[in-house]
Amino acid sequence: MRNDDRVPETTTQEADARLDELFLAYREACPDPEPSVNFTPELWVRIEAREVSTNLFGRMAKALVTAALAATVILGLIVSTFSHNESQFNGTYIEALRADRASSLEPLNLDRFAEMEQQ
Amino acid sequence: MLVEFELIQKAQKGDATAFNGVVSAYRRRILGTISRLIGRPEDVEDVAQEVFMRLYFSLEQLRTPEVFEPWLYRLTVNACYDYLRKSKRRLESRMADLSEQQVMMADAAAGSKAQSEDFEKRRVRDTVTGLLASVSEEDRVLLTMKEVEGLSLKELEKIYGVNENALKVRLFRARQRVLKNMKGVTPPRSGSAKSGEEE
Repeated sequence: MRNDDRVPETTTQEADARLDELFLAYREACPDPEPSVNFTPELWVRIEAREVSTNLFGRMAKALVTAALAATVILGLIVSTFSHNESQFNGTYIEALRADRASSLEPLNLDRFAEMEQQ
Repeated sequence: MLVEFELIQKAQKGDATAFNGVVSAYRRRILGTISRLIGRPEDVEDVAQEVFMRLYFSLEQLRTPEVFEPWLYRLTVNACYDYLRKSKRRLESRMADLSEQQVMMADAAAGSKAQSEDFEKRRVRDTVTGLLASVSEEDRVLLTMKEVEGLSLKELEKIYGVNENALKVRLFRARQRVLKNMKGVTPPRSGSAKSGEEE
């Protein structure tokens, strides 16, 4: 604790007693206020308003979850349909490549090379 | 406790009459605590309604009767903190929104109200408010709960969820700071603040 926060020892008790007296006087100078007649009815209006907004939020959240689920199912169906169409080729990976690029995998024409060398 | 735990249990089950009973038993005490913590009579009911609304929505979590009052005080302290934080932000914009005429009218109204108040009570209020302004908002609330509201360290321990020793240290430091600023303050005239006491 910092020293500058301390009060000299001799006056501490006296000052403490004065502060207690001051707090007591403050408590008595600030009595508990009387609630207004509308306190409880207004409280219930606030509670009901909060309940309505909470329910609305809950319903919106439920609707969003349902929509997200529906979108997931639809997307899942679309993806599975497309992947089903693509997987109709039943060969190996190499066979599939060969089928796709048949022209580029044709054997080289050696006669053409011989002609080029003669020139 | 100001109410039987059975009443709280009924309120927990959604019995509106029982909840009204709980509100009726505690509202005056809570209004008093709030008025001493926030210092703005016009907003006291609003904050108290917020406290009871939070109580209504959290009541079902309550399991044991002994924690009910500390819990209610914790809700009160938290609602006061929220209010004080918001009002700090609002203060400047509120003053900027008022026209010059409105400011003059507000000053005149405050002046006439002050004249009608008991001078000694007002002096005590101003003195203590000024002294408590020398500590942080958290320490001011803690000191008020201990010294003005008269809560014990055990009760404060439950409200703040901090151990008793830590609270003692914090209270001691806050009190020292207040004492340091108290030099030159005239002590209250004994008995004069009690005049016109409602309770």
